[in-house]
Parts: sequence; C-alpha cells; structure tokens
Amino acid sequence: MDIGFWVFQTLNALQLSMLLFLLSVGLTVIFGLMHFVNLAHGALYAFGAYVAATVAGGLGYWPGFLLAPVLVAAIGLLLYAGLIRRMRKSGPMAQVLVTFGLIFALLDLTRIIWGDLAFGMELPAVLSGRVTIGSVEYPTYRLFIIALGAGVFGALALILGRTQIGAMIRAGVDNDAMASCLGINVERLFFVVFCIGCALAGLAGAIAAPILSVTPDMGLQILIPTLIVVVIGGLGSLKGAITGSLIYGFVQTFGAVLVPNLASVLIYALLAVVLVMRPAGLFPAKG
Amino acid sequence: MFRLTPVRSGALGLLAALGLYAAFSAEYFGLEILTEIAILSMLVIALDMVAGFGGMVSLCHGALLGIGAYAYAGLTTMTGADPFLALLGAVVLTGIAGFLVGAVCAGSQGIYFIMVTLAFGQMAYAFFFESAAFGGDDGIAGVPRLDLSGLGVDLGDSRSFVLFCMILLALVTLFAAHILRSGLGRTLVGLKTNEQRMRALGVRSWRAKAYTFGISGMIAGLAGVLAAQHTMYISPGLLNWTVSGEALVVVILGGLGTLVGPLVGATAFVLIKHEVSALTPYWHLVTGVILIAVVMSGANGIFGFFEAQLERLRNRSKPAVEGKLKQGSVHDA
Repeated sequence: MDIGFWVFQTLNALQLSMLLFLLSVGLTVIFGLMHFVNLAHGALYAFGAYVAATVAGGLGYWPGFLLAPVLVAAIGLLLYAGLIRRMRKSGPMAQVLVTFGLIFALLDLTRIIWGDLAFGMELPAVLSGRVTIGSVEYPTYRLFIIALGAGVFGALALILGRTQIGAMIRAGVDNDAMASCLGINVERLFFVVFCIGCALAGLAGAIAAPILSVTPDMGLQILIPTLIVVVIGGLGSLKGAITGSLIYGFVQTFGAVLVPNLASVLIYALLAVVLVMRPAGLFPAKG
Repeated sequence: MFRLTPVRSGALGLLAALGLYAAFSAEYFGLEILTEIAILSMLVIALDMVAGFGGMVSLCHGALLGIGAYAYAGLTTMTGADPFLALLGAVVLTGIAGFLVGAVCAGSQGIYFIMVTLAFGQMAYAFFFESAAFGGDDGIAGVPRLDLSGLGVDLGDSRSFVLFCMILLALVTLFAAHILRSGLGRTLVGLKTNEQRMRALGVRSWRAKAYTFGISGMIAGLAGVLAAQHTMYISPGLLNWTVSGEALVVVILGGLGTLVGPLVGATAFVLIKHEVSALTPYWHLVTGVILIAVVMSGANGIFGFFEAQLERLRNRSKPAVEGKLKQGSVHDA
C-alpha cells in the first residue's frame, strides 16, 4: 500500500462525501427548519438523474446539468403546495408515512415515464479525461464532483453565515415562533429553503447520473446513506451535514478496501454509537 | 390499554370465520395468499404492540423477522437441530435481540427512535448480506417445515400449513391482547401518554419499553420462523428496511393501536397487492396513493374508521359524553 493508494482512496472518499453532502444538506435544513421528515428526498434525486440523462441525450451534457435542478425544484414546489404544507402540523410519524407513500408513488411514476431499463449519460469532452496527481491518474469528472461539492458548501456557508437571509434562516431554525414575532415571514422562508433543497437534490442526481447507472430505485438506495449522514451530523446544521458526509464517505470507502467483510456493518454500528452517546447528532443546530 | 370491545371481538370472530372458510375452500394459489396474510398479520401485531400502544415507531421489525428466520434456518440446516427446538431457539433469540434494541433505544424519542431502530435493522441486514457463513446474498435453501406426523398432520400440504399458521396467529393475537391488558401493557400506554408522570410514579420507563420490545420481538421472530418454513428458502431481503416500512404501512392502513386493525390491514394489503399487480405492474403507485389518502384523511385506518362510525351511531341514541379521550390517532404519535 503505497502513497498512491492512499491518495486514490482519499479522492474516492471525498467524491462520495460530496455527492452525499449535496443531498443531505437540503434534507437537513428542511428537517431543522420545518421539522419535516422528507423521505421522498431520494426520489427527487432519482428524478434529477432521469431529467439530466434524458435532456443530455438530446441537447448535450450542460443543458441537462442545468435543467435538472430547475425541474426538480418545480416538482418540489408542487409537492409543497399539494402535500407538505398540509402536513406541517402533524407528528413525525404521519410525515414519515406520507413521504413513504410518496416514495412508492414516485418510484412507479419514474418507471411509467422512463421504463425499467438503466440509463447512461455521456460526459462532455472537457470532463471525460484523466488528470495525473503525483503518481495517481484520476478521472477528471470525479474531481469535478469534489470541486462542485466544495463550491456549494462554500457558497452555502457564505449565505448562511454572512447574509441577511442566512441570518433569518438561522433564526428560524433556532426558534421559529420568536423569528416570526420579529417580523420574519417564516412560512415563506420555509418555502424558499424547501425549493433550494429540492434543487440541490436534483443537482446531485444530475452529477451522479454519469457515474452510477440511472435506475428507478436509485433514490431508494441513496436514501439510507443520506439519512445516516443527517442523523450523525445533527439536524439543521451545515456543519453537521458536511461532517456527516465526510465521516460516511471515509468510513465507507476505507472500510470497503481495508476490512471488506465489515464495511457495511461498520457504518451502521457507528451510527448506533453516535445516537446512543449523542442522541441529537454531532452538531445539532439547536444547542 | 387494549379494550376488547364488542366491535373488536365481532371483527375478530368475522376474520377468523372468513379465514377458516377460505382455508377450506381455496385452491393452491389462494392458500399461498392466505399463508402470506397470516404471516404478515403476525408481524404487524408485533409492530402494533410497540408502535400503537407504546408509541415506539420501529423500523427494525423486518430485521427481527429476518433474525427469527435465519436462526431457525441456521439451526435446522447447519446444526441439524430438531425443528421444534430450532423454533423455540429462534423465538427466544429474537426476543433477546428485541429486548436489547428496546433497552438501548428507550431513551430516544420521535424521529430519533425511528432512526436508531432503522440503523439497528440495517446493521442486521448488512451482517447477513455480507456473512459467508449464512450464505451471503444467496440465502439458505432447504429449510424444513415442522414434523407433526405424530399428530397425523402433514405440514408439507399447503392446506395443513395454512391452518397451522392460522392457529398460531390466533394464539399470538390472544397472547398480545393478554400482555396489553396486563400491568405491563397499562404501564406502556401510560408511558406513551405521559412519560414524565409515569417516572414520577416510580416506573422505570426503560424496563417496560425493553420488555415489550422483547415480547414483540418474539412474535416477530415466530413470524420469521413461519416465513422460512413457508417458502423453505430465506434471503437477506427479509431483513431490509422496506419490509419494516411495509409492515408500518399495513398497521396504518388497518388502524394503529387497535390490534384488530392490523389484521384487517394485512388482509387488505396482501389482497390489494395481488389484485392490483394482476392488473398493472405499478401496484406500488396504487398503494402509495392509498397510504397518502389514509394518513391525510386523519382517520385511524380502515378499522379505526369503521369503529369511529359505529361509535357515532351508538352515541346518537345517548346524550353526548363530554371530554372523551380520543385514542390512538396517527397524529398523536
């Protein structure tokens, strides 16, 4: 195991982490701000992947990459208006069940629209090559994913930490009743955050489409890792989402190469330990 | 606390009569469906005990069922144990697993409880999926059924096996009702309603929760043993979280916290699945829409809905009772 091995696996781990980060950040902020458990987040990601693959088939990679978040945000808007606004006051169990029903329904909708066959997606010429880092050759596209994830994290950190709307969102997560007493339209804030979260899920789908095959159940497969990230990191915080993603990415990747028999048990055991020791996760938004 | 109202005992009697009629009149395919209903019913009774009465919404009951199935299959095919002893061993083992999960999770609430149980369930799933000793993702084939030839019964026959499952289901239902009416069951409902007050009264909350989870685990384990005997083949898919999710859907469709409702739900779910999947491959869409409609309607499932309607009819002739406690709605959980 030379240095090249470690560089290669570290890049793999980072790439997985960033993909999960894009998904979990939307979920965790919706969770923290709206106290809403959206199990259908994975289905939105699958939708994004299908939209990107379909558009890319006709118009090329970049239109697909840009359209997927927009269309998924539009679907999020419909879900918000039709279902989620009415479920805001119900308990977590009713929300889990309604969004579980949504998973069923959206899964079959994607099968009706796109069929059961797996889709592939072509990469643009700029991203399809390999880059040499020291002794390692690494696919450009995977480096692009890492850069994109890091870029989104930077932008969100800036918006949440330094702008007025960020301060309003943090206030809403911390104490929504007090925030609305201070004149913040919390409901509209929820709505905006929900749409952005959905758009990020769509973006995650679009960037995952070329490296994973696009199948109807891809949303179901990514859901559990995303929930693990959110729960390990703690609800509602950006810091939690990025930490959780990195922990998951590294444990999963290095577990798979170093202790292949235990890799998948390892991550669940870690989750159980975190939840038993710190029931609210590592960095919950509310102290 | 579970109350065996006339409506509930009537519904139970009706279900038993329908089940017996179906068991004696159905052809091979009908018997398979009936067995599926009986096994799913047993699993959802286990889930309703913890979710409906204890407010502990578990997403690891599929895994408990799977542990029961694997324990039975492992004991019979690998160590050559007697199927009776293997059945007992599997039930005890699943009970211990349930007790441990319940004890560890007792401090978690709401969405966190759902997540921790999900984590434990997936952990078991991942374990059996990766484990070479238990056949990995190929599972274990050639699981034997119980040998009841001493009683003159051949369980290899579908009809006898259905009747065997139904008898066990009836016993399990009565057992669950008995537990829920006992001191433990009352403590459990008290904890669900107001945990702080129960603790102030000197109840050790984790103990009641862990015991109930253990008993519920035993029932789920028995369902797993029957599932393994039914198909005579098991795979890690039994432990996947979607199985637990479906069981939760069934409890909700039927009526949470009524014990009778889940039986209605299991029957409805399996029939919908087979009827709709004969018409269209997209039966998940239909189930999903029904589930959303049931939860959003605010009614407590199919059985809860009828129970409430009957209650209204009965109360129309009597003066209204003020301040009556509304029990077991999905939205309180």
